[in-house]
Amino acid sequence: MKRRALLAMALAGVAAAVVRLRGGKAASPQRGGWRELTGSDLY
Amino acid sequence: MRAIVVGVGAVGARAARQILALGPVDDLAVIDPDTARREAVVASLGRPVSVGSDLESVLTTVRGPSTSVVLAGPAGNHRALAELALAAGASVVSTSDSATDVAGLLALDATARAQNLTVVAGAGFSPGLSCVLAAYAARSFERIDEIHVARVGVGGPACARQHQEAARGRAQEWAEGEWVTRRPGSGRLLCWFPDPIGGLDCYRGDFAEPLLLAPAFPGVQRVTSRYGARRRDRLAALVPSIPLLARPLPEGDLGALRVEVTGAQGLTRDARVVGAIDRPAVAAGAVAALAARWAVDGRFSRVGAAGLAELVEPGPFLAVLAERGVKVAIFEGAAA
Repeated sequence: MKRRALLAMALAGVAAAVVRLRGGKAASPQRGGWRELTGSDLY
Repeated sequence: MRAIVVGVGAVGARAARQILALGPVDDLAVIDPDTARREAVVASLGRPVSVGSDLESVLTTVRGPSTSVVLAGPAGNHRALAELALAAGASVVSTSDSATDVAGLLALDATARAQNLTVVAGAGFSPGLSCVLAAYAARSFERIDEIHVARVGVGGPACARQHQEAARGRAQEWAEGEWVTRRPGSGRLLCWFPDPIGGLDCYRGDFAEPLLLAPAFPGVQRVTSRYGARRRDRLAALVPSIPLLARPLPEGDLGALRVEVTGAQGLTRDARVVGAIDRPAVAAGAVAALAARWAVDGRFSRVGAAGLAELVEPGPFLAVLAERGVKVAIFEGAAA
């Protein structure tokens, strides 16, 4: 019983590490975008 | 103007070239313990320059108030080198992104003020360009509430090693008017960088921006800095015994910055998001060279030790950088 509990905890730890390392899938912003700053923007 | 560039790796070599391109230079000296690298950089500059293997000896011939010393070598000893330069009457520009180096350089404020000289801490890509972007975005507000910096990419191999150390270090953040420390790798936040980087999860680390930006914006409530990490970077940061998992590129890779400033104008609270995309070594070289030029030309807002957010008028500084090929952008539309 104790061995099973330890195994379950170890598996949960591995799964958590995998999830943490993989991170989330990003969703694109729905509106807007980047515009380069040029002459008049900078003064 | 006289200039000394200490360390001619990916950042220092570009800083030396940019110094020559920004205006007349009476004397330029480059210092690097790697003789082959030093000679290669000297040959690429296309004009006679002095060379040396240590700052102390070069300062015996190149010194005085019209001298800027650009510290572009590996992090760790920038404060000691800055003290040597100040003693010789030269201003200092450091590209170190180490929080320890930056704190040490900021501690030289009284010494630099007493000599009417400037010590620019964190004059690279991040910190450096990131601080100028924060100052630029802050122009839109009467009151600054929060500044959040995110970065991705590294300069040369020395920068890659320092970045990995920083990713494993406890983050210092400015929160609600006091310093707090956070666990490395915590605070995951999806940040959108300019294309082609796009969206990337970002995490806390021991980065220097809060040390530079909190004093630059009195009254600011929160200042944070994160790094964008892919799976491999996360693994390397989580396991301290792992060295760099991939050989760092000699000239670095493509990087990006994203700086979000929240503040108020009258009764309206709003946010500005600005960013940049470039090779960090290229942008850092241009930023350091321009800071060295402005130090000699007396174009900083004050003497003493500080970051670029405190020292420069951001618009004109970014305009000169744009002429040198370092482009910045603003996010317009929905929150990025």
